[in-house]
Amino acid sequence: MIAQFAVEFKHITKSFSDRKVLIDVSFGVAEGEALCIMGRSGIGKSVTLKLMIGLLKPDSGQVCIDSEDITPLPEKELSRVRRNIGFLFQSAALFDSFTVGDNLAMPLKRFDKSKSPSEIEQAVNETLRAVGLEKDKDKLPVELSGGMRKRAGLARALVLNPKLLLVDEPSSGLDRITAGEIDDLLLRVKTERNTTLVIVTHDVRCVRRVADQVAVLDKGHLASLGTLDELESSENLVVRELTSESAK
Amino acid sequence: MKIITGFFSLIGNLSCFGLRALAAVFVPPYEWQYFVLQIEAIGWQSLPLISAAGLALGVVMTLHTRSSLVSFGAGAWAPNLQSQSFFNELGPLVSGLLVAGRAGAGIGAELANMRVTEQIDALEVLSFDSFRLLCVTRILACIIVLPLLTVFMDFAGLLGGFFSEYMISRMSFQHYVASAFSSLGWANFIPPTLKTCVFGFIIGTVSCYFGYTTNEGSDGVRRAATNSVVLSSLLIILSDVVLVKLIFFFFPGDAM
Repeated sequence: MIAQFAVEFKHITKSFSDRKVLIDVSFGVAEGEALCIMGRSGIGKSVTLKLMIGLLKPDSGQVCIDSEDITPLPEKELSRVRRNIGFLFQSAALFDSFTVGDNLAMPLKRFDKSKSPSEIEQAVNETLRAVGLEKDKDKLPVELSGGMRKRAGLARALVLNPKLLLVDEPSSGLDRITAGEIDDLLLRVKTERNTTLVIVTHDVRCVRRVADQVAVLDKGHLASLGTLDELESSENLVVRELTSESAK
Repeated sequence: MKIITGFFSLIGNLSCFGLRALAAVFVPPYEWQYFVLQIEAIGWQSLPLISAAGLALGVVMTLHTRSSLVSFGAGAWAPNLQSQSFFNELGPLVSGLLVAGRAGAGIGAELANMRVTEQIDALEVLSFDSFRLLCVTRILACIIVLPLLTVFMDFAGLLGGFFSEYMISRMSFQHYVASAFSSLGWANFIPPTLKTCVFGFIIGTVSCYFGYTTNEGSDGVRRAATNSVVLSSLLIILSDVVLVKLIFFFFPGDAM
């Protein structure tokens, strides 16, 4: 039986000006699985996430979400696809001028126009409670610590109950304990909601806790794809270095 | 050669950006809530600056011109000269330049910061049309508030002129107003005030363009703010030359 991929890259090539960032990259993530993407800085990991949600278009190849190729879709159609995708940005990307609660209410108002204000408030409260921020609903993003911002960003990404969650560097700029708390949240999202996760990270501890599969990008190519244990004993030095916990 | 091609490329990109925004104004959905927020941020919050500047400029203008008029025996024309200066040129131009400095820099920096911190990407991910939400609302708000702010600047300038005149000659308010408006027609008021819609379009388009298209981190934020003010101000002054010529063409009485 062929596994149903929640997201699949088919021969993706992407370049910026003369620089080829991704060259003929193919892989898939099965529903309910967590894939961590690793690689050196500037290798195209975040570009991979942005291709998955249609923020960038590939030069060639197909990006399939639930077996549907999203590369030729116009913005209106992309909106339908994005309804089922959450995205946690590296900087959390909370809207500065809105409170945490309003940040969460925004996608609900946009996608669920049938929801009443009280239903929206209830959904916001529930999601904030899930990430431990129920008391910070009325705070502005500038009043939050780095870890709280990440959690608020995660809450906004989860508020629509997405089937696929894309996460860009969840532990960047955070101490080990706070990063561990974010990993816990991601793990809960995966197990309790059966959400498919694609996480870009350098943090091997996060990979060990959350990932089912690890993809390593190097020089534009998919250098390796497998479990962390498999990759730790890879013959490719870059793969071994990136996936080795002692290297961290 | 590179500078010249770069300049024309910038003008071309700006024109496309502005026309795209204008076209979007006529196509739903409309982001009314964000539009009202921009009216408040660009218009209402600029009002104290515009009023204070108009008042001060009115006082200074009268101080400068009155002595010259008196030496020609035309001191009584001071209110008239004041109103002609403000309604025809000073009010529109100074309002445009002040809003370019205050709101233009703010728009450029705010949008560039949103780009750098991935907030614009986040909007796209949430299926908002970021261009419509961030740029169209701001450009339209600039077009609408500029004429209104200009009216405030005009009357603040007249009020400043009156204060100055009263301190020197004890002229009554009724006399000052009657004298100021004695030879002022609608053609001295409507076309110059409406020309500031063009200034508003320039400020909104230039500032949104530099902010929305930046991709250079914190340096990009600084550059977006600076470029917004510099290019907006320059284009306002240059377009004013053309607009004044156009007003003289359509309202020849103004040129007399």
